[in-house]
This record gives sequence, structure tokens and C-alpha cells, in this order.
Amino acid sequence: MNLSTDKKLTVTAVLGLLGVIVTYLVGDMGRFWMNWILWFLFLLTIGLGCLFIVALEHIVGAKWSIPVRRIPERISGLLLLVSPVAIAALLSLEYLYPWTQPEGLADPIVAGKAGWLNAPFFALRVVICVGLWIIAYRIFVGGSLRQDQDRDPRFNIRARRFAPLFMAIFAIIITLVAFDWISSLDPVWYSDIFGVYIFAGTFLSGLAATTLALLSLKNRGRLQNVGPDHMYNLGGFLFAFTVFWSYIGFAQYMLMWYANIPEEVYWYEERLHGAWGILVLGLAVFHFLVPFFLLIPRKAKSDPRFLFWTSALILAAHWLDLYWMLFPALGRGVLFGWVECSFGFLFLSAGLLWIRRSMKRGEDMPVGDPLLNEGLEFRL
Amino acid sequence: MTSRRAFSVVGLFDSAQLLLDAIPKVKTKVPGRLEAYTPFPVHGVDEALGLRKSPIGGMVLVMGIIGAASALALEMWTSGIDYPQTTAGKPFLSWEAFVPIMFELTVLFATFTAGLGMLILLNRLPLFRHPMLRSKSMPLITRDKFGLAVEANGEDLDVDAITKILREAGAENIEILEGLPPVAPASPKFLLLSLLAIGISSLVAGYLTYWGIKLFPVAPPMVHMLDQPKLNPQEANDFFADGFGMRMPVADTVRRGALPYTIEVQEDAARLINPLSRTGDVLNQGRQVFANHCAMCHGILGDGKPTLTAAYGAKPANLVSQQMIDLSDGEIYHVIWKGKNSMPSYSADLDDDEQWAVVHYVRVLQRALNAKDEDIDD
Repeated sequence: MNLSTDKKLTVTAVLGLLGVIVTYLVGDMGRFWMNWILWFLFLLTIGLGCLFIVALEHIVGAKWSIPVRRIPERISGLLLLVSPVAIAALLSLEYLYPWTQPEGLADPIVAGKAGWLNAPFFALRVVICVGLWIIAYRIFVGGSLRQDQDRDPRFNIRARRFAPLFMAIFAIIITLVAFDWISSLDPVWYSDIFGVYIFAGTFLSGLAATTLALLSLKNRGRLQNVGPDHMYNLGGFLFAFTVFWSYIGFAQYMLMWYANIPEEVYWYEERLHGAWGILVLGLAVFHFLVPFFLLIPRKAKSDPRFLFWTSALILAAHWLDLYWMLFPALGRGVLFGWVECSFGFLFLSAGLLWIRRSMKRGEDMPVGDPLLNEGLEFRL
Repeated sequence: MTSRRAFSVVGLFDSAQLLLDAIPKVKTKVPGRLEAYTPFPVHGVDEALGLRKSPIGGMVLVMGIIGAASALALEMWTSGIDYPQTTAGKPFLSWEAFVPIMFELTVLFATFTAGLGMLILLNRLPLFRHPMLRSKSMPLITRDKFGLAVEANGEDLDVDAITKILREAGAENIEILEGLPPVAPASPKFLLLSLLAIGISSLVAGYLTYWGIKLFPVAPPMVHMLDQPKLNPQEANDFFADGFGMRMPVADTVRRGALPYTIEVQEDAARLINPLSRTGDVLNQGRQVFANHCAMCHGILGDGKPTLTAAYGAKPANLVSQQMIDLSDGEIYHVIWKGKNSMPSYSADLDDDEQWAVVHYVRVLQRALNAKDEDIDD
């Protein structure tokens, strides 16, 4: 069969969709919604991470990144795709989140958090977050796309003014995503640093997705004047935030391990023993050790093939990170079968189709940006 | 053709591009080392000169790994093997607790290697007076000229030929630098004097700090470990009627794991036999117990002359006197169990093995301090 990539992706998406529908009809609601949340968060973190990269570049006035800025801008389009997924995910509350059930609320700690953890307020927060990220997307990406046409340099100033405000909004969104969607699956658990941990994974996966997309496009003959020095910067970012993720992840674990307070350590108790213990080892190896040592040499940070596979590895490890955080809350051991594969097919294919569709139109670089040429001339 | 002993020949160029164009032309034709001097970093110079990749990266990696390994070894040895101490109920060898130190030592080793390696290895630090710094070209290079120098690498430079090559490559001003060999470390006398100065100033600073703190105690010394709300051994305590801080065991109780001791009179204990044999381990254990519990009153030699004066007026027994040598093992054991005069009972502090081991050790002291001629091994 000689199908185009788009057709292949459509086929896998349809296959995945069938599997997802069958799962729903079979009626294993816990598993269905847990997969839903997992893939929702996977796409959301990549999209948010990319939007954060865009905002970061505006806030510091980075010039080297202007030629590659269109890529995170396009990928952050995932935020539009996941918005309905987020709203639909509200249906999962009664199946997954113990604080929606009377027996969950019987725990005095959970009862104490009921003012925050209740379905109406939760839904309100989700809707506000969706609204905020759509607005931010329209300001950064919509503005940048308009600049392609009108070449209006005032967009740069507007974006730079909005970026600090976006940072505050982003901090709120990412903290709410972490606390509401992930941490409240185990509502007794406390961890102040959890939002930062999710942020680390978000930024890292956004960087990995950007690098991966850049190299794929270069393989197809686009963005040819983006050189090894630009890639070196992305590689350096990947290296730095691999360390950052590990640092935050370990900081969270070590303090809880030392204090050994029941309402903190039980989260790790669930996730460090049995099969989950092996998964967490995989996380340490593939989310930290392997990318860390792979990215140390200077050549590795600008070698396209090398960077491609490292980014792919980091994205896979990010998925594993989410899986390891979410699935133990079901209390059913390591679940991986055709259900998980179907969800993977559907969401991954849909996400890729979405990004590919947006990449086919318009310019590959922000051609209206007056500083584009300076960015292209960037050398280390 | 004149050939002089020269350190380097420097040619000046008007632009970075001229310099870059000149390097390949010169490079193939001259002996010695080629060095470029520019007022700002110029892309492509490293490649044109064919400089080797800096070894610093590899050194930093290796030293970082050594740092992590030495931190791990240090922590495992001190807190797991040599001096195991329970902290917060964690296992002795808890890798979680080791990670922060490993991280810090990795960073420390790596940054020191990077900094010192750069200064000494690559910047050739002991070389304080590079001839280039005193050349006429240097002020121009720091402004707007680009210098290309052919430096002697041990050999004699053919100055005229090099001058010609540089001119053909487009250089305008040519300067010939005579002088120091490429590596001119400071003289031994200078190094010796510097070391002496560092040594003396460290000593002066140390003594000033020491006497300053002693004479003007602005802050109390760090004695937090000593300064605890608890009774130390031998300390008086007003709470009890007899004023003793150390208490006898509560009547009719025994230490966990101990059997009740029913002998009341010291002479009756004479029939008890020391169950331990006099092995090296037992004697070592006895010595430790003696040092921890007995020596502060009986003295480290057991002669009743301790470094700590018996503040409460009683004179501690001389354990190596004839009277004590004549006592049986059981009688000494009895005193440890029951106490005598001002001496409290140690039955709560020492288990049976420790008590008997210290009896053996008392015998060792008695023998050692009353040694006869035939004890000497010849």
C-alpha cells in the first residue's frame, strides 16, 4: 500500500476511535476516563509548553529563536484541539475523583478540602483555564500569523507587553492543571511543589516537540536556513530542563521521604512498589540518565539525527511520567492493553494530523517579524 | 638571509575578513604555531587555525563523575559503615539522603576543574608576562586591528621569510617580538616567596581569629550538643532528696533481658564464675566499657586517680591495689551490680556480658600495673 502520511494517520485514528468506542460500550468507565485524562494531559502539556516557549522568547526578546518560532506557535494549536477534550473530561469526575463520592469525603482531610474540591467549582476553573489559554493563543499565535500579512512591527511590542502577564496566567493554569487533574486523584495527598514538577515536564515536552517538528521539517526540505547553531540552542535547552525536571522530581520525593508523614508518603507508597517501582526506574533512566548523558557532548546538541531520537525519547518518557502519576490512582496495577493502544492511536494520530494540517498552510517562519534576518544570522 | 632568535612575528590586518583569508595562506608555509589576536570574537578563526577541541569538557565530565563517586563513597563509609547512626529512623545506607551531597560535590569538582583547568592549562597561568602584551601591536589590536602571529615553538624562526609570507598574505604592519621563551613561569625564588607569604598570612589570620575570639567573646562558642536540657553523668540534681542525678534502678526491677540478681552480700558472690573466656574480643569490649563507664572515677588505669576529681567527696577505689587483686571475679561483678558506697549500680547500663568483660579488663589492669620481671617477654 502506498498511502500518504495523512491517510495512514487517518486510518490509525479511525482504528483508535473504534477501540475507544468499544471501551466505552464495554463499560469499564474507570479505565476509559483514566486514558482520556492521560492523553488529554499529554497533548495539553505539549501545547502549553510550546505556548510558554513562545511567550518566553517574547519576554526576553530572543532573536536566535525567531526563525524557529513558528514551530511552537503551530504546535500550541493543540490547545484548541484539547479544549473540547478538557470539557468532556469533566464527565470523568464521578468515576475517577474520590472527592466526588460520599465515601471519599468521609476522610477528614478530604472533607477539609471540599471547599476547593467540588464539582461545580472544578468545572468553573476548567472553563476559565480553557478560556485563558484560548485567549493567550489568539494573542501570541493569531497576532504572529497576522504579522505575516501586514508586516506590522508593532506586534512585537504588543507581544512583549503581554508576555509577562501571560507568565502569571500560565503559572495559574499549570498549577491548576497539576493540582486539579492529577494531584486530586489522590485527594488526601499534599505537595506544594507539584505544580513546578508538572511545569518542568510541560516545558521539557514542549521543547522536545518543537525540536522533533523542526527536524522533521528540515528532513522534508523546509526551514533549510535554520542552522546547527539554532539546533544547538534547542539542544542546550533540552539538556538544562532534563536536569531541572529531575531536580524538582527528586526534591519533591526527598522531602517527603525524610518527613515520612502518612498523608504525603502514601502517594509514593502506591507508586514505588511492585510493577510501578519498575516503571519509576524506567522514568529515572529514560527521563533523566539517558537524555542527560546523551546530551552532554557539544556535537550531540546540534547533530540532527541524534537530537531527533533524543527528543522522541524525552516525549515518550514524558508520557510515561504522566502514566506513572495517573494510573496508580485506579488501584488496579499496571494496565496496558488494547484499550491504552486505541487511545494512543486516536489521540496521537489526531494530534499529529492537527499539527500537520496547520503546518501545511502559511509561512514556515514569522516572515513579518522585523528581526527575522538577525535571527537567521545567529551564530554561537 | 639573517636569522635571529625571535619569539614571534606579528602581522596586522585591517579587517576580520582579511585575517580569515590570510590564515590558510600562511598556515601551510610557516613552521611554529599560528595565533590570531582579534578585538572581538570572530567566527571561523578557530576552524581556520585548526585548533584542537578544548579538553576542558572531558576533564569536567570526568571530574564531575569523580566528585559524585567520592561523595557517595564518603557518605556510605561515614554514615553506613564506620559510624552508623540512626537518623529519623531511616536505614543507614539511604541513597536518598546521599543525593544532595553527591550533587553538590559533582558541581564543586566540575566547576573547580573548569575554572582552574582553563586558567592553568589553557591560559598557561604561571606565564605572567606574555611578550605579546608588551608589543606595539597590542594597543592596535585592542582597538581595530586583527593580528596574526607566528610563534616559535622551540625552533628558530626565519624572520625574513615569515615577514615576506605575511606581507604576501596582506599584512600591513609587521612586528618582530624578541624575548621570553613561550613558557616563562615565575622564578623559583618568586614562587617560594609567594608560598611563604601565603603561609605567614594564613598563620597570622588564624592566630588573630583564635585570640580574638578568646579575648573578646562576642558570640558564645558552638556548644549546642553539650547544651541540652538533660542530666549529664555525675551531675547533681535538686529534684531528688539525695541530690544525685544518677539514679539507682527502681526497686524490684531488672534491665530488659536480665535475670533477677538475688545475692545480697558481696562475699556470697565469690562463688560466681566468669562465664566469658579471655579472648581479644572480650578484653577489647571490657576496655571500651571501662573507658565509657568506669574511667571517669577510677581513672583510665584503674588506680583511683581520675582526671575528673571526685567532686562529691568520696575517694574512688584503687582497682589495682592488692586488696582488689585478692577479690574474686564474682565479688567484683557483685559491686558492678549493686554499687558500693558512693558508686551507683551499673546493672541498668551494662548487660551481663559487658559486666563480665569489664571484670576481665580490671584483671588486665591489675596485672599490667603490678608486672613482674617474668612477664617481660625476652
